[in-house]
Amino acid sequence: MTELDPVIHAAARLRISATLASLEEGDRITFPRLQELLDMTAGNLSTHLRKLEDAEYVVVEKTHKGRTPVTYVALTRRGRRAFEDYTDTLRSLLGDNA
Amino acid sequence: MTTHPSDRDDRRDSRPDDGDGDDKLTDPAAALALVQRQQAALERDQLGGIPVILLVWGVAWLVGFGALWSGYAGGNPWFQVPLTVAGIVFAVFLVAAMGISAWIGMRLNRGVRGPSNFSGAVYGIAWPIVGFGAWLMGVALARNGMDSELQSLFFPAIFALVAGVMYVMGAAIWRSLDQLVLGLIILVAGTVAPFFGAPTNNLVMAVLGGGAFLIAGLVMHINLQRGRRA
Repeated sequence: MTELDPVIHAAARLRISATLASLEEGDRITFPRLQELLDMTAGNLSTHLRKLEDAEYVVVEKTHKGRTPVTYVALTRRGRRAFEDYTDTLRSLLGDNA
Repeated sequence: MTTHPSDRDDRRDSRPDDGDGDDKLTDPAAALALVQRQQAALERDQLGGIPVILLVWGVAWLVGFGALWSGYAGGNPWFQVPLTVAGIVFAVFLVAAMGISAWIGMRLNRGVRGPSNFSGAVYGIAWPIVGFGAWLMGVALARNGMDSELQSLFFPAIFALVAGVMYVMGAAIWRSLDQLVLGLIILVAGTVAPFFGAPTNNLVMAVLGGGAFLIAGLVMHINLQRGRRA
């Protein structure tokens, strides 16, 4: 019986992963835009991103555009694979139940 | 895009967090549905502007070329407008459509940096460059003796050719069947219209070209609302 990845298996982090996985591989998204797409508070998003970052599923990159700081978020290769494995597991679980 | 009803559903699924925010998902079906809903909502948010662009161009072609058709003698049998007025209407609608689509187009991939920016930027810049090139070619032909009746056949045709090729290219880049069908119809409109002669060519552009834009815009809008990939 396959285990569901506990890092991804929480609604907020699943939505974050699904959103980041929809970006083209290699693309990164700004923190405010990600927040807007997910409709989450900055604090809530930060908390969940930290957990994903700890698992090395996500890279959070802080840089500057001119003088204003910009934070970019992207799925790592490991994170993308974990998300795909997770959805594959879900599908096989559902297939088994059917 | 603002909130859709389904976005609120998503929020309901990501229940208010407790201390560590580990809101557990129990049911695999619910989890998979959450992924699909989230990705559909994302697609609506990111691509929702494209149907608007198509609808704007549909109206511009329908009204603009319709005005030209009504401006020339032997065109619209129901009513006539002075050619100067028709020309102004055509120009206003075309410039407005260019402005609106450029503004929406630039916002489509906002907040995202990376490889996809390159395709988007090249595609976006290609529009005005190729359009300007086509216009300049017409000017050169006019200077070399192309009369005004031939010009009224040539300019709509070359712009339709440009637009058709651009939509086919867009279809290739973003793997969009909708855009491919639209591009091919616009290509047909542009290449077939001159055979009808002036001013009927404008009617072909208005109905076939404008109609294709409007239908494509509606189809894509409905697909996005249903959460299917356009």
